[in-house]
Amino acid sequence: MTAPLAQVADIEDGHSKGFDPLGEGRDTMFIVRRGEALFGWRNACPHYDHARMAWKKDEFLTGDRARIVCGAHGAQFEIDTGLCVLGPCLGDRLTAVALEVRDGAIFLAAPYAPGLRPRMGRAHH
Amino acid sequence: MRIIGPDELVFGVDDLDACRQFLLDSGLIEAEWSAAGGTFVGLDNTGITVRARDDASLPAALASGATIRQTIYGCEDQATVDAIETELGRDREVVRSPDGSITCSDDVGIALKFQVTKRKPFTAPPELVNSPGAAPARGFNVVGANEDAVAVPRTLSHLVYFSPDMDKQEAFYVERLRFVVTDRFTDVGPFLRPAACTDHHTLFMVQTPPHMQGMEHFAFHMQGPTELMLAGTRMLNKGWESFWGPGRHKFGSNWFWYFNCPLMTHFEFDADMDLHDDEWVPRETDVGAPSAQMFLFEGVEKWFPSGPPPEGEDHH
Repeated sequence: MTAPLAQVADIEDGHSKGFDPLGEGRDTMFIVRRGEALFGWRNACPHYDHARMAWKKDEFLTGDRARIVCGAHGAQFEIDTGLCVLGPCLGDRLTAVALEVRDGAIFLAAPYAPGLRPRMGRAHH
Repeated sequence: MRIIGPDELVFGVDDLDACRQFLLDSGLIEAEWSAAGGTFVGLDNTGITVRARDDASLPAALASGATIRQTIYGCEDQATVDAIETELGRDREVVRSPDGSITCSDDVGIALKFQVTKRKPFTAPPELVNSPGAAPARGFNVVGANEDAVAVPRTLSHLVYFSPDMDKQEAFYVERLRFVVTDRFTDVGPFLRPAACTDHHTLFMVQTPPHMQGMEHFAFHMQGPTELMLAGTRMLNKGWESFWGPGRHKFGSNWFWYFNCPLMTHFEFDADMDLHDDEWVPRETDVGAPSAQMFLFEGVEKWFPSGPPPEGEDHH
Protein backbone atom coordinates (compact mmCIF):
# COMPACT_ATOMS: atom_id res chain seq x y z
CA MET A 1 0.00 0.00 0.00
CA THR A 2 1.44 3.34 -0.91
CA ALA A 3 -1.33 5.61 0.35
CA PRO A 4 -1.66 6.11 4.09
CA LEU A 5 -4.75 4.75 5.83
CA ALA A 6 -5.09 8.00 7.74
CA GLN A 7 -3.24 10.58 9.74
CA VAL A 8 -2.74 9.79 13.42
CA ALA A 9 -4.57 13.05 14.11
CA ASP A 10 -7.64 11.68 12.29
CA ILE A 11 -8.24 9.28 15.16
CA GLU A 12 -9.39 10.91 18.37
CA ASP A 13 -7.26 9.93 21.33
CA GLY A 14 -8.87 7.07 23.23
CA HIS A 15 -11.24 6.23 20.35
CA SER A 16 -11.43 3.74 17.51
CA LYS A 17 -11.87 4.08 13.76
CA GLY A 18 -12.67 1.55 11.06
CA PHE A 19 -10.80 1.22 7.76
CA ASP A 20 -11.37 -0.49 4.42
CA PRO A 21 -7.86 -0.71 2.90
CA LEU A 22 -8.91 -2.76 -0.15
CA GLY A 23 -12.08 -0.84 -0.95
CA GLU A 24 -14.29 -3.85 -0.28
CA GLY A 25 -17.21 -1.72 0.81
CA ARG A 26 -17.02 -2.45 4.53
CA ASP A 27 -14.45 -1.71 7.21
CA THR A 28 -12.33 -4.84 7.47
CA MET A 29 -9.96 -3.50 10.15
CA PHE A 30 -9.88 -0.89 12.87
CA ILE A 31 -7.36 1.11 14.84
CA VAL A 32 -7.54 2.11 18.49
CA ARG A 33 -5.47 5.14 19.50
CA ARG A 34 -4.12 5.66 23.00
CA GLY A 35 -1.94 8.73 23.00
CA GLU A 36 0.73 8.07 20.41
CA ALA A 37 0.19 4.30 20.61
CA LEU A 38 -1.87 2.73 17.82
CA PHE A 39 -3.35 -0.77 17.89
CA GLY A 40 -4.54 -2.27 14.59
CA TRP A 41 -6.92 -5.23 14.56
CA ARG A 42 -8.96 -7.05 11.92
CA ASN A 43 -12.70 -6.35 12.13
CA ALA A 44 -13.35 -10.05 12.66
CA CYS A 45 -14.50 -11.54 15.94
CA PRO A 46 -12.90 -14.92 16.68
CA HIS A 47 -16.32 -16.14 17.84
CA TYR A 48 -17.69 -16.62 14.32
CA ASP A 49 -15.90 -16.75 10.98
CA HIS A 50 -16.14 -13.38 9.21
CA ALA A 51 -18.06 -11.80 12.10
CA ARG A 52 -18.03 -8.01 12.01
CA MET A 53 -17.47 -6.37 15.35
CA ALA A 54 -18.44 -2.69 15.25
CA TRP A 55 -21.64 -1.83 17.03
CA LYS A 56 -21.80 1.22 14.78
CA LYS A 57 -19.50 2.76 12.18
CA ASP A 58 -16.12 3.39 13.92
CA GLU A 59 -17.42 2.19 17.31
CA PHE A 60 -15.34 -0.75 18.53
CA LEU A 61 -14.95 0.14 22.22
CA THR A 62 -16.90 -0.25 25.45
CA GLY A 63 -18.65 2.81 26.86
CA ASP A 64 -15.68 3.58 29.15
CA ARG A 65 -13.32 2.95 26.20
CA ALA A 66 -11.26 0.58 28.35
CA ARG A 67 -11.74 -2.47 26.13
CA ILE A 68 -12.62 -3.48 22.61
CA VAL A 69 -16.16 -4.87 22.46
CA CYS A 70 -17.88 -6.89 19.75
CA GLY A 71 -21.32 -5.58 18.83
CA ALA A 72 -22.41 -9.09 17.91
CA HIS A 73 -22.52 -10.64 21.38
CA GLY A 74 -20.57 -8.32 23.65
CA ALA A 75 -17.25 -10.17 23.77
CA GLN A 76 -14.61 -7.91 25.30
CA PHE A 77 -10.94 -7.76 24.35
CA GLU A 78 -7.84 -6.06 25.73
CA ILE A 79 -6.97 -3.14 23.48
CA ASP A 80 -3.24 -3.80 23.46
CA THR A 81 -3.15 -7.61 23.27
CA GLY A 82 -6.42 -8.46 21.50
CA LEU A 83 -7.07 -11.15 24.11
CA CYS A 84 -10.76 -11.91 24.75
CA VAL A 85 -11.32 -11.56 28.51
CA LEU A 86 -15.13 -11.81 28.59
CA GLY A 87 -17.80 -13.36 26.42
CA PRO A 88 -18.26 -16.05 23.81
CA CYS A 89 -14.67 -16.27 22.53
CA LEU A 90 -13.00 -16.14 25.97
CA GLY A 91 -9.26 -16.80 25.63
CA ASP A 92 -9.19 -16.28 21.87
CA ARG A 93 -7.40 -13.37 20.24
CA LEU A 94 -8.14 -10.80 17.59
CA THR A 95 -5.94 -10.81 14.50
CA ALA A 96 -3.39 -8.02 14.58
CA VAL A 97 -2.81 -5.62 11.69
CA ALA A 98 0.78 -4.39 11.63
CA LEU A 99 0.98 -0.60 11.30
CA GLU A 100 3.77 1.83 10.58
CA VAL A 101 3.72 5.57 11.29
CA ARG A 102 5.78 7.92 9.15
CA ASP A 103 5.52 11.68 9.58
CA GLY A 104 2.22 11.38 11.38
CA ALA A 105 0.67 9.17 8.70
CA ILE A 106 -0.45 5.59 9.31
CA PHE A 107 0.48 2.89 6.79
CA LEU A 108 -0.09 -0.85 6.64
CA ALA A 109 3.23 -2.54 7.42
CA ALA A 110 2.42 -5.92 5.86
CA PRO A 111 0.40 -7.41 2.98
CA TYR A 112 -3.33 -7.29 3.63
CA ALA A 113 -5.84 -10.00 2.72
CA PRO A 114 -9.50 -9.31 1.80
CA GLY A 115 -11.85 -9.32 4.76
CA LEU A 116 -15.25 -10.01 3.26
CA ARG A 117 -16.75 -13.27 2.17
CA PRO A 118 -16.33 -13.96 -1.55
CA ARG A 119 -19.09 -13.00 -3.97
CA MET A 120 -21.28 -15.87 -5.16
CA GLY A 121 -19.34 -18.11 -7.53
CA ARG A 122 -16.04 -16.29 -6.97
CA ALA A 123 -13.54 -17.64 -4.50
CA HIS A 124 -10.84 -15.32 -3.18
CA HIS A 125 -7.50 -15.67 -4.92
CA MET B 1 -50.91 -23.56 28.72
CA ARG B 2 -51.92 -20.57 26.65
CA ILE B 3 -48.61 -18.74 26.38
CA ILE B 4 -48.62 -16.43 23.36
CA GLY B 5 -44.95 -15.49 23.12
CA PRO B 6 -42.46 -12.89 24.33
CA ASP B 7 -44.07 -9.64 25.48
CA GLU B 8 -40.81 -7.97 26.40
CA LEU B 9 -37.07 -8.51 26.77
CA VAL B 10 -35.17 -6.64 29.48
CA PHE B 11 -31.48 -5.83 29.08
CA GLY B 12 -28.80 -4.38 31.34
CA VAL B 13 -26.43 -2.38 29.13
CA ASP B 14 -23.34 -0.20 29.29
CA ASP B 15 -24.35 2.58 26.92
CA LEU B 16 -27.99 3.59 27.37
CA ASP B 17 -27.87 6.49 24.92
CA ALA B 18 -26.43 4.35 22.12
CA CYS B 19 -29.09 1.72 22.78
CA ARG B 20 -31.81 4.34 22.67
CA GLN B 21 -30.54 5.68 19.35
CA PHE B 22 -30.33 2.18 17.88
CA LEU B 23 -33.85 1.24 18.96
CA LEU B 24 -35.27 4.53 17.67
CA ASP B 25 -33.46 4.09 14.36
CA SER B 26 -34.89 0.57 14.08
CA GLY B 27 -38.34 2.14 13.90
CA LEU B 28 -39.54 1.01 17.32
CA ILE B 29 -41.74 3.45 19.22
CA GLU B 30 -40.36 5.05 22.39
CA ALA B 31 -42.94 4.21 25.03
CA GLU B 32 -40.94 5.49 27.98
CA TRP B 33 -37.55 7.11 28.55
CA SER B 34 -35.73 8.55 31.55
CA ALA B 35 -32.21 8.67 32.94
CA ALA B 36 -32.76 5.08 34.10
CA GLY B 37 -33.42 3.81 30.58
CA GLY B 38 -36.65 3.05 28.80
CA THR B 39 -38.94 0.87 26.74
CA PHE B 40 -39.36 0.69 22.98
CA VAL B 41 -42.30 -1.11 21.42
CA GLY B 42 -43.70 -2.33 18.15
CA LEU B 43 -47.23 -1.81 16.87
CA ASP B 44 -48.67 -4.42 19.26
CA ASN B 45 -46.92 -3.02 22.37
CA THR B 46 -44.40 -5.87 22.62
CA GLY B 47 -40.88 -4.54 22.98
CA ILE B 48 -37.49 -4.03 24.53
CA THR B 49 -36.53 -2.45 27.85
CA VAL B 50 -33.00 -1.21 28.46
CA ARG B 51 -31.59 -0.30 31.86
CA ALA B 52 -28.06 0.32 33.11
CA ARG B 53 -26.09 -2.87 33.73
CA ASP B 54 -25.83 -2.07 37.46
CA ASP B 55 -29.52 -1.14 37.88
CA ALA B 56 -30.56 -2.75 41.17
CA SER B 57 -34.12 -3.31 39.90
CA LEU B 58 -32.92 -5.85 37.32
CA PRO B 59 -32.76 -9.60 37.95
CA ALA B 60 -29.21 -10.82 38.55
CA ALA B 61 -26.86 -10.95 35.57
CA LEU B 62 -25.61 -14.24 34.14
CA ALA B 63 -22.01 -15.12 35.01
CA SER B 64 -21.09 -14.69 31.34
CA GLY B 65 -21.75 -10.95 31.52
CA ALA B 66 -24.50 -11.21 28.89
CA THR B 67 -26.83 -8.22 28.69
CA ILE B 68 -30.12 -10.17 28.70
CA ARG B 69 -31.64 -9.95 32.16
CA GLN B 70 -35.24 -11.08 31.84
CA THR B 71 -37.60 -12.63 29.29
CA ILE B 72 -41.23 -11.68 29.83
CA TYR B 73 -43.87 -13.95 28.33
CA GLY B 74 -47.40 -12.86 27.59
CA CYS B 75 -50.21 -15.30 28.37
CA GLU B 76 -53.79 -15.28 27.12
CA ASP B 77 -55.33 -15.09 30.58
CA GLN B 78 -54.64 -15.11 34.32
CA ALA B 79 -55.61 -18.78 34.48
CA THR B 80 -52.56 -19.58 32.37
CA VAL B 81 -50.30 -17.55 34.65
CA ASP B 82 -51.81 -19.33 37.65
CA ALA B 83 -51.28 -22.72 36.03
CA ILE B 84 -47.63 -21.87 35.36
CA GLU B 85 -47.25 -20.78 38.99
CA THR B 86 -48.61 -24.12 40.17
CA GLU B 87 -46.51 -26.14 37.73
CA LEU B 88 -43.20 -24.39 38.34
CA GLY B 89 -43.83 -23.87 42.05
CA ARG B 90 -43.36 -27.60 42.51
CA ASP B 91 -39.58 -27.39 42.17
CA ARG B 92 -38.48 -23.75 42.33
CA GLU B 93 -39.20 -20.40 43.87
CA VAL B 94 -41.96 -18.53 42.05
CA VAL B 95 -42.65 -14.97 43.20
CA ARG B 96 -46.09 -13.53 42.63
CA SER B 97 -46.57 -9.77 42.24
CA PRO B 98 -49.70 -7.86 43.28
CA ASP B 99 -50.59 -7.44 39.59
CA GLY B 100 -50.81 -11.22 39.24
CA SER B 101 -47.61 -11.68 37.26
CA ILE B 102 -45.03 -14.22 38.39
CA THR B 103 -41.24 -14.39 38.19
CA CYS B 104 -38.86 -17.33 38.38
CA SER B 105 -35.97 -18.86 36.44
CA ASP B 106 -35.84 -21.56 33.80
CA ASP B 107 -33.66 -24.66 34.23
CA VAL B 108 -30.46 -22.96 33.02
CA GLY B 109 -30.86 -19.76 35.03
CA ILE B 110 -32.65 -17.44 32.58
CA ALA B 111 -34.87 -15.02 34.53
CA LEU B 112 -38.49 -15.30 33.40
CA LYS B 113 -41.69 -13.42 34.01
CA PHE B 114 -45.19 -14.50 33.02
CA GLN B 115 -48.05 -12.05 32.79
CA VAL B 116 -51.42 -11.59 31.13
CA THR B 117 -50.20 -10.27 27.82
CA LYS B 118 -49.75 -6.54 27.33
CA ARG B 119 -50.18 -6.95 23.59
CA LYS B 120 -52.66 -4.56 22.04
CA PRO B 121 -54.77 -5.75 19.13
CA PHE B 122 -53.89 -3.86 15.98
CA THR B 123 -54.65 -4.04 12.32
CA ALA B 124 -52.23 -2.91 9.64
CA PRO B 125 -52.09 -3.59 5.93
CA PRO B 126 -50.01 -6.49 4.60
CA GLU B 127 -47.40 -6.03 1.89
CA LEU B 128 -49.45 -6.11 -1.30
CA VAL B 129 -47.81 -7.94 -4.19
CA ASN B 130 -49.14 -8.18 -7.73
CA SER B 131 -48.54 -11.62 -9.21
CA PRO B 132 -49.41 -12.52 -12.82
CA GLY B 133 -51.99 -15.30 -12.83
CA ALA B 134 -53.52 -14.14 -9.58
CA ALA B 135 -55.94 -11.34 -8.83
CA PRO B 136 -54.07 -8.05 -8.30
CA ALA B 137 -53.30 -7.47 -4.64
CA ARG B 138 -52.48 -3.79 -5.18
CA GLY B 139 -55.13 -2.05 -7.21
CA PHE B 140 -54.81 0.36 -10.12
CA ASN B 141 -52.73 3.45 -9.43
CA VAL B 142 -51.58 2.26 -6.02
CA VAL B 143 -47.82 2.79 -6.00
CA GLY B 144 -45.72 0.11 -4.31
CA ALA B 145 -42.35 1.87 -4.01
CA ASN B 146 -42.46 4.52 -1.29
CA GLU B 147 -39.02 5.36 0.01
CA ASP B 148 -40.55 7.55 2.72
CA ALA B 149 -42.86 4.86 4.05
CA VAL B 150 -43.03 4.54 7.80
CA ALA B 151 -41.50 1.18 8.76
CA VAL B 152 -42.38 0.31 12.35
CA PRO B 153 -41.63 -3.19 13.62
CA ARG B 154 -44.96 -4.86 14.28
CA THR B 155 -44.33 -7.39 17.00
CA LEU B 156 -41.54 -9.04 18.94
CA SER B 157 -41.14 -12.22 16.93
CA HIS B 158 -38.60 -14.45 18.61
CA LEU B 159 -35.49 -14.77 20.70
CA VAL B 160 -32.50 -17.07 20.60
CA TYR B 161 -30.41 -18.08 23.59
CA PHE B 162 -26.89 -19.39 23.74
CA SER B 163 -27.64 -22.37 25.98
CA PRO B 164 -25.20 -24.22 28.24
CA ASP B 165 -27.52 -27.25 28.16
CA MET B 166 -29.81 -27.31 25.18
CA ASP B 167 -31.50 -30.59 26.09
CA LYS B 168 -32.28 -29.45 29.61
CA GLN B 169 -33.54 -26.08 28.43
CA GLU B 170 -35.66 -27.62 25.68
CA ALA B 171 -37.18 -30.09 28.13
CA PHE B 172 -38.15 -27.23 30.44
CA TYR B 173 -40.05 -25.34 27.75
CA VAL B 174 -41.63 -28.47 26.25
CA GLU B 175 -42.50 -30.50 29.34
CA ARG B 176 -43.23 -27.74 31.82
CA LEU B 177 -44.56 -24.93 29.63
CA ARG B 178 -45.95 -27.00 26.73
CA PHE B 179 -43.99 -25.36 23.95
CA VAL B 180 -44.02 -27.33 20.67
CA VAL B 181 -40.92 -28.24 18.63
CA THR B 182 -41.47 -27.23 15.00
CA ASP B 183 -38.05 -28.09 13.53
CA ARG B 184 -34.55 -28.91 14.72
CA PHE B 185 -30.93 -28.33 13.74
CA THR B 186 -29.17 -31.53 14.79
CA ASP B 187 -27.00 -31.09 17.91
CA VAL B 188 -27.47 -27.31 17.71
CA GLY B 189 -30.98 -26.60 18.85
CA PRO B 190 -34.76 -26.78 18.49
CA PHE B 191 -37.20 -24.24 17.08
CA LEU B 192 -40.07 -23.82 19.53
CA ARG B 193 -43.47 -22.17 19.59
CA PRO B 194 -45.74 -21.82 22.62
CA ALA B 195 -49.22 -23.34 22.54
CA ALA B 196 -51.11 -20.10 21.88
CA CYS B 197 -48.85 -19.09 18.97
CA THR B 198 -48.81 -20.30 15.38
CA ASP B 199 -45.51 -18.68 14.30
CA HIS B 200 -42.85 -21.21 13.29
CA HIS B 201 -40.76 -20.14 16.25
CA THR B 202 -40.71 -17.67 19.08
CA LEU B 203 -37.77 -19.44 20.72
CA PHE B 204 -34.62 -21.06 19.41
CA MET B 205 -31.50 -22.07 21.27
CA VAL B 206 -27.93 -22.76 20.31
CA GLN B 207 -25.83 -25.17 22.36
CA THR B 208 -22.65 -23.45 23.59
CA PRO B 209 -20.09 -23.76 26.39
CA PRO B 210 -21.28 -22.21 29.70
CA HIS B 211 -19.12 -19.10 29.41
CA MET B 212 -21.07 -18.09 26.31
CA GLN B 213 -24.52 -18.20 27.88
CA GLY B 214 -26.65 -15.29 26.78
CA MET B 215 -28.67 -14.14 23.82
CA GLU B 216 -27.71 -14.75 20.18
CA HIS B 217 -30.40 -12.43 18.83
CA PHE B 218 -33.94 -11.20 19.08
CA ALA B 219 -36.21 -10.34 16.17
CA PHE B 220 -39.18 -8.18 15.25
CA HIS B 221 -41.67 -8.99 12.50
CA MET B 222 -41.91 -6.39 9.75
CA GLN B 223 -44.79 -5.92 7.29
CA GLY B 224 -43.05 -7.90 4.58
CA PRO B 225 -39.84 -8.23 2.57
CA THR B 226 -40.03 -4.69 1.17
CA GLU B 227 -40.43 -3.07 4.56
CA LEU B 228 -37.60 -5.26 5.90
CA MET B 229 -35.32 -4.06 3.09
CA LEU B 230 -36.33 -0.45 3.70
CA ALA B 231 -35.78 -0.64 7.44
CA GLY B 232 -32.42 -2.39 7.03
CA THR B 233 -31.27 0.11 4.42
CA ARG B 234 -32.10 2.94 6.80
CA MET B 235 -29.98 1.26 9.47
CA LEU B 236 -27.03 0.98 7.08
CA ASN B 237 -27.39 4.62 6.11
CA LYS B 238 -27.30 5.61 9.78
CA GLY B 239 -23.99 3.79 10.28
CA TRP B 240 -25.24 0.65 12.02
CA GLU B 241 -23.35 -2.52 11.21
CA SER B 242 -25.05 -5.21 9.16
CA PHE B 243 -24.11 -8.64 10.43
CA TRP B 244 -26.00 -11.08 8.19
CA GLY B 245 -28.46 -10.41 5.44
CA PRO B 246 -30.72 -9.58 3.85
CA GLY B 247 -31.67 -13.12 3.02
CA ARG B 248 -34.34 -15.73 3.56
CA HIS B 249 -34.15 -18.56 6.05
CA LYS B 250 -35.30 -22.07 5.20
CA PHE B 251 -36.72 -23.22 8.54
CA GLY B 252 -39.49 -20.72 9.25
CA SER B 253 -39.14 -19.22 5.76
CA ASN B 254 -38.67 -15.79 7.32
CA TRP B 255 -36.77 -13.11 5.50
CA PHE B 256 -33.97 -11.87 7.75
CA TRP B 257 -31.55 -9.02 8.23
CA TYR B 258 -29.34 -9.03 11.34
CA PHE B 259 -27.51 -6.04 12.77
CA ASN B 260 -24.85 -5.65 15.42
CA CYS B 261 -26.29 -3.59 18.21
CA PRO B 262 -25.18 -1.70 21.32
CA LEU B 263 -27.40 -4.02 23.34
CA MET B 264 -24.56 -6.46 22.59
CA THR B 265 -26.73 -9.04 20.93
CA HIS B 266 -28.01 -9.15 17.38
CA PHE B 267 -31.14 -7.31 16.37
CA GLU B 268 -33.04 -9.00 13.53
CA PHE B 269 -35.70 -7.62 11.26
CA ASP B 270 -37.76 -10.56 9.99
CA ALA B 271 -40.77 -10.93 7.75
CA ASP B 272 -43.17 -13.51 6.38
CA MET B 273 -42.63 -16.39 8.77
CA ASP B 274 -44.42 -19.72 8.27
CA LEU B 275 -47.39 -20.52 10.48
CA HIS B 276 -48.00 -23.97 11.90
CA ASP B 277 -50.59 -25.95 13.79
CA ASP B 278 -50.41 -29.26 15.59
CA GLU B 279 -50.58 -31.20 12.30
CA TRP B 280 -47.03 -30.13 11.45
CA VAL B 281 -44.34 -32.80 11.50
CA PRO B 282 -40.97 -31.38 12.63
CA ARG B 283 -38.05 -31.54 10.24
CA GLU B 284 -34.43 -32.04 11.25
CA THR B 285 -31.22 -31.24 9.44
CA ASP B 286 -27.58 -30.40 10.09
CA VAL B 287 -27.03 -26.68 10.32
CA GLY B 288 -24.65 -24.85 8.02
CA ALA B 289 -24.67 -22.17 5.36
CA PRO B 290 -26.72 -24.24 2.88
CA SER B 291 -29.43 -25.20 5.39
CA ALA B 292 -29.59 -21.85 7.20
CA GLN B 293 -30.72 -19.81 4.22
CA MET B 294 -32.27 -20.04 0.78
CA PHE B 295 -30.25 -17.06 -0.42
CA LEU B 296 -28.12 -14.27 1.02
CA PHE B 297 -27.45 -10.75 -0.22
CA GLU B 298 -25.47 -7.78 1.01
CA GLY B 299 -26.28 -4.08 0.84
CA VAL B 300 -24.10 -1.90 -1.37
CA GLU B 301 -24.10 1.79 -2.22
CA LYS B 302 -26.83 2.86 -4.64
CA TRP B 303 -25.68 2.74 -8.27
CA PHE B 304 -27.05 3.59 -11.70
CA PRO B 305 -25.75 2.35 -15.04
CA SER B 306 -24.73 5.53 -16.81
CA GLY B 307 -21.63 7.06 -18.34
CA PRO B 308 -17.94 6.24 -17.89
CA PRO B 309 -16.23 6.39 -14.50
CA PRO B 310 -15.26 9.89 -13.37
CA GLU B 311 -11.71 10.98 -14.19
CA GLY B 312 -9.08 9.85 -11.73
CA GLU B 313 -11.34 7.52 -9.77
CA ASP B 314 -9.34 5.07 -7.73
CA HIS B 315 -10.23 1.54 -8.84
CA HIS B 316 -9.41 -1.24 -6.46
